[in-house]
Amino acid sequence: MRHRGPIPDRPVASAGVGRAEFAIELRETSRRFGRTEALAPIDLTVAPGEVVTVLGPSGSGKTTLLRIVGGLVAPTTGTVLVDGVAPEQARSTKRIGFVPQRPALLPWRTVRQNARLLLDVNRGAGPASGTSPDHLLGQVGLLDFADAYPHELSGGMQQRVSLARTLALGAPVLLLDEPFAALDEITRTDMRHLLAEVSEPLQTTILFVTHSIAEAVFLSDRVLVLSSRPGRIVGEELVDLPRPRHAGLEDEPAFFALERRLRALLHAGMGR
Amino acid sequence: MNSRRVMAAGAVGLAVFALLWELLVRALDVKPFILLAPTRIASELADRPSYYLGAMGVTARHAVLGLAIAIAGALLLGALLSTSRFLEHAVQPVLMLILVAPWVAYFASIVVWLGRGDPPVIFLVAFVTTPAYVFATVAGLRSADPDAREVLRSVDASRAEVLLRLRLPSALPALLATSRYGAALALAAAYYGEGGNLTSVGLGAIGRRAASAQSGAVLWASVVATVLLGVALLVAIAAIERVALRWHVSQRRAPHDDGGDRGAVTPPA
Repeated sequence: MRHRGPIPDRPVASAGVGRAEFAIELRETSRRFGRTEALAPIDLTVAPGEVVTVLGPSGSGKTTLLRIVGGLVAPTTGTVLVDGVAPEQARSTKRIGFVPQRPALLPWRTVRQNARLLLDVNRGAGPASGTSPDHLLGQVGLLDFADAYPHELSGGMQQRVSLARTLALGAPVLLLDEPFAALDEITRTDMRHLLAEVSEPLQTTILFVTHSIAEAVFLSDRVLVLSSRPGRIVGEELVDLPRPRHAGLEDEPAFFALERRLRALLHAGMGR
Repeated sequence: MNSRRVMAAGAVGLAVFALLWELLVRALDVKPFILLAPTRIASELADRPSYYLGAMGVTARHAVLGLAIAIAGALLLGALLSTSRFLEHAVQPVLMLILVAPWVAYFASIVVWLGRGDPPVIFLVAFVTTPAYVFATVAGLRSADPDAREVLRSVDASRAEVLLRLRLPSALPALLATSRYGAALALAAAYYGEGGNLTSVGLGAIGRRAASAQSGAVLWASVVATVLLGVALLVAIAAIERVALRWHVSQRRAPHDDGGDRGAVTPPA
């Protein structure tokens, strides 16, 4: 497994990194909704600084898995630890950064105010050691729009604000729930390149949920494939591509080979 | 149509309306008490400007104070009701009763209860306008984007923070929309309350006395003064909307050429 090396002249995103053995640890974790078993019991560990993608078809419970890790849904069975503590505690100490499917910006706040939102609430909790919102807006190319309102932005730009809003937290664990699913193909591609560029120096642990094979390969150190409902892990691929990831990788044979293997796993998991 | 042409069209419509009114009254020789010509209403108002302006001030105070109390009460009650479907469903029928009850009929009881002067008038205004504001508050608070709530939940934002930063701003459009209707209802209630309250001053008291004295000029002057007050209230509400809701879809002037709101590519000045 290839971890991203530390970059000496950058502060580590949070004091929480490295404290626990695993950034995310799930043991026999499952979830049912009424009679529907959404997620079969799953064991999953993610090392600090590792980027893991959960790839699965619609209805595979991958979003449920992410929400369990984020403490937004309680598991029916099993245990969950995030940064060594229960998800609720990780949440209340602002150690989880959550990027939803839709940008969900507040329309009455400017871009800059939206990027600050998560710093403005629950101020008592740490860590406030993240990158400044303005710096992040610059990184996602939106500093010129800092005083604009969300309705003045395109969908891709809104999702970039959403990303900056979460990164401003400086949380050691990032959970991304298909954040690019609603974007057009060209914008999607740009967004995964941008996410790699912005997140690689941060050494943040990332759990990324998607149904895009290209996104999974491009961004991850490791990809888990979930089956159709109830979601079970049907396979795992290590992504042994060099970091930093750059757009050119997507034209290389190694990238295609990984895509092909993941596609086969995905189809096997869907019973085809 | 740009806003200047919209205003011009409105002015033309009002002018034509006034002209027809004037011609109709003169041509049919309508009695002043039934309908007074606009020019005669204008001259009655111009003859005693301080008398009518003073009464407009009193009526405006009754209406605005009553509305302020209604909004404050509705925000508190609405915030409470939005926390529980049971509470909401328990209180909803009571509010409906208040909404449809004939306040013209029960106002005498309020006067007996609260005495004469301002209190019964302000109470009536607040009482009859509260239900609509409560409905607007509950619906508005509930309209908050669930994904944004989830984002706030992910950092464990407190209930107060979610209310202040997400749910109240989400309720603002509904509250302001309700205020247009609320302003009209508040003026009607204030006018009626002043008239039915023997010692009160205000446009309603002037109108009631004029009606008893069969004075068409004064009656119609009080009606037009009330209308002017209503227009002023609506203009004030529109101005508040323009400032407070500049982010909202209802306040956007020029739609983008692609028909959606995703087309902006240039940073604002």
